[in-house]
Amino acid sequence: MDASLLTIQPNAPDPIYRQIVEQLRRLIASGQLTSGELLPSVREVAGFHAINPMTVSRAYGMAEAEGLLERLRGKGMAVAATRRTVQSESQRMALLESQLQELARHANELELPAEPVLRRLAKLLGD
Amino acid sequence: MNAVLEYPDNVSASPLTASGLVHCYEGSNVLTGVDLTLTPGSVLGLVGRNGTGKSTLIRAMLGLLEPLAGSAFVFGEPALKLSDEAKSRIAYVPQQPEALAWLTVQQMLDFVGRFYPRWDAPFIRTTLERWKIQPNRLLAKLSPGERQRVDLIRAFASQPELLVLDEPAASLDPVARRELLRELALRAGESGTTVLFSTHIVSDLERVASEVAFLHEGKLLLHCGVDETKERYARLWLPAKMTSAAPSQSLSRRRNQDGSLSLIVERDRYGQWPQASTMPGARIDALGLEDLFVEIAE
Repeated sequence: MDASLLTIQPNAPDPIYRQIVEQLRRLIASGQLTSGELLPSVREVAGFHAINPMTVSRAYGMAEAEGLLERLRGKGMAVAATRRTVQSESQRMALLESQLQELARHANELELPAEPVLRRLAKLLGD
Repeated sequence: MNAVLEYPDNVSASPLTASGLVHCYEGSNVLTGVDLTLTPGSVLGLVGRNGTGKSTLIRAMLGLLEPLAGSAFVFGEPALKLSDEAKSRIAYVPQQPEALAWLTVQQMLDFVGRFYPRWDAPFIRTTLERWKIQPNRLLAKLSPGERQRVDLIRAFASQPELLVLDEPAASLDPVARRELLRELALRAGESGTTVLFSTHIVSDLERVASEVAFLHEGKLLLHCGVDETKERYARLWLPAKMTSAAPSQSLSRRRNQDGSLSLIVERDRYGQWPQASTMPGARIDALGLEDLFVEIAE
């Protein structure tokens, strides 16, 4: 994996370490990163994005604790081997939960009934 | 009694610490009692509006000006009486470097280098080339941005344990700024350099700082980890008819034209937002540091 695969938005309300973990979750859930694949070193990520290395370490540590990554001796971080490359449907659904809640909140603010919103969403999803 | 006992306990462990700093210019108060302690290896971004005394605070902490009251310590030594040994471990870049302007870039760097035991001459060669600065030019003839870059190179080359930068990005273009941030971030991470920098460009701070402190009306409003600040504070918006439910404790409170209220609130120790945020019509907005800063400094 290359450090450029991550997008960092320093001024977003979400702390940078959370942005990194969230992106790793997605990349792994979707199969873009496969078991055993090596991650760029903390220094590479920090240097590429001009961010504090401690932030990258924190993100890697959290992803490791979650079981997304594992530390390979002498090689650095890699996508955990025990994890199925593609996660179950409910696990992937869970990754979408915050966006769905956001969408529901906007729809409520606009006082839109559920039906046209769902119809439009179905169309976007290519049903 | 042992003279060392006069200093507070945490003083010797911290690269830079200040307590009760008070200063004023021509009768107007700039600092009204600032306490600040830097953790070794941290990168502290000091934010504040123009003219809030960021430079004064920095200069007082380094012993470059004598405050009206309060004290500052660098590596455990009183800032106003630093030993040469302590000075060689510090690098300070002022907002507008002016010293030694009659020398060329190379002459100045050669001269200054003699005072530092760990002077990194190869770093200077490669960085001058990378930042496209000709070593034979006179400092006085450089643009403010180039002058600032030379001074940053000078500061990095001394391999300081404590690096203090006053608005380091003020005259730099976006590319040079990014290069500076990269250098800062990697130094802090790898050599354990402790960094204090002041800025009003909050997105710079969000990239590299591990901690942030807001200087407002002569006092530090907040001093907290950058990640924690983003997670702990938010804006609570209450419609006009619900303002009586507003929590009494908030960092700032602004009444909007339509009678609604915007408050900066903090999570309690269970991680919950104040009760009022759960009422229908109320809204909690997560904030970036810039928005948070604008809300509390307004």
